[in-house]
Amino acid sequence: MKKTLTVNLGGTVYHIDEDAYVLLDNYLNNLRYHFRKEAGADEIVRDMENRISELFNEYIREGIQVITIEQVEAVIARMGKPEELNTEGEEERTEKETEEPAYGSVKRLFRNPDDRILGGVVSGLAAYFGCDPTPLRILLLVAGFILLSFGGFFPLMLAYIILWIIVPLARTATEKLQMQGKPINMENIGKTVTDGFEREGEKERSAEPRSLLARFFDGLVQVAGFIIKFVLVLLAICCIPALMLGLIIAFALFMAATGILASTPAILYYALPEIDWNLLGTAPVSVIGLSICALLVVGIPIWGFLQLLLQSFKVWRPMSTGVKITLILLWLFAVAIGTFFLFQLPFLIDSMYWA
Amino acid sequence: MNVDNVKSQMRKGMLEYCILLLLHREPSYASDIIQNLKEAKLIVVEGTLYPLLTRLKNDDLLSYEWVESTQGPPRKYYTLTQKGEEFLTGLETAWDELSATVNHLRTKLISNKNEKDTDC
Repeated sequence: MKKTLTVNLGGTVYHIDEDAYVLLDNYLNNLRYHFRKEAGADEIVRDMENRISELFNEYIREGIQVITIEQVEAVIARMGKPEELNTEGEEERTEKETEEPAYGSVKRLFRNPDDRILGGVVSGLAAYFGCDPTPLRILLLVAGFILLSFGGFFPLMLAYIILWIIVPLARTATEKLQMQGKPINMENIGKTVTDGFEREGEKERSAEPRSLLARFFDGLVQVAGFIIKFVLVLLAICCIPALMLGLIIAFALFMAATGILASTPAILYYALPEIDWNLLGTAPVSVIGLSICALLVVGIPIWGFLQLLLQSFKVWRPMSTGVKITLILLWLFAVAIGTFFLFQLPFLIDSMYWA
Repeated sequence: MNVDNVKSQMRKGMLEYCILLLLHREPSYASDIIQNLKEAKLIVVEGTLYPLLTRLKNDDLLSYEWVESTQGPPRKYYTLTQKGEEFLTGLETAWDELSATVNHLRTKLISNKNEKDTDC
């Protein structure tokens, strides 16, 4: 059973399968994009629409009731793909276009949703480095077995899971093109969508759609994802009153902190008379550095937690991989530098001993 | 440089002339033109015709009118304009010259070949 749509093509109504409709719509959009620089582009596409309508009409007269994807494919083959329609002088232009460093053709690391066994991490990596995923998978498996005997399997697994969490899934056609580092233009997007359809078709035709292993893992992943989401939501519900309270407290603390900050020198001077404050003058960099580091060390995890919470509610958009990695590195950096500064403060150490 | 490429270039160059010729004979709508061009193996994919017709129309070489059809929606019937007729005459002389040149070269080559054959 298939869902059908009713379309008005060149003034005639046709029933058309949903997948056939998407393909046709896509084809017409590609044509529009292809002729965009030509005078009377709309007219050209409208005339071609009329012709397609005429060809469909022939099918209808043959006794077909619903236009299927095979018929749309046949019509497209007859009309010609946009790249086959190059007319005079255009060839040089299109060649030049492809030679240009295409806008937005940056390669990005994504997880590949179309070819995956677990999370599509390896497949995405393969797309990123432009190689076949199968050898990479085998390599990883072999590495896993070797590391297993050395007890290093856990870090590898952890690395995979971390990548799974932080690397986003390529959801849209644009992201899929970015994953492969192809230029993002209408024609390529069209191709990706059409390719997707072809692959869908293949899947339907083959009796065993995906390997049993892949389906088992799919199920496992879904269950795990559900449990994680459930726990997160539960946690969030428990946290809402606390969060509100926390926000109020944080605000109050912030106000107080402003006041305290303004009078810090005086307060500190009177509160801790035993510290030799003259040392502060000798190490001002350490004090400021330590403050910044402390802010980062505490702030980044709070930000991360907030992000995770709000992201699961779709309030905030997911962080990009680059931001995540930067934050993690910044945190580690802050910890390291902070520790260094801490031991640079002789008066603090003195006071510790004194206490 | 391959044969197919050159062939398609030759056909492309001829396409406008042939369309004008067809329309000179009788006003017709796109699908008729496609039928004729396909019979003559001048076009492979039908989509090539439409941008060409629109371009010729924008250059005032063609004009069209909507004609009711017994089967389906009204159709665009293209006819040659006065300018189009003049254009066609210009192309005809060009074609005559071109075919004369090519024929001349070919007959020359053929006669040379025959001479060579007789020499042997």
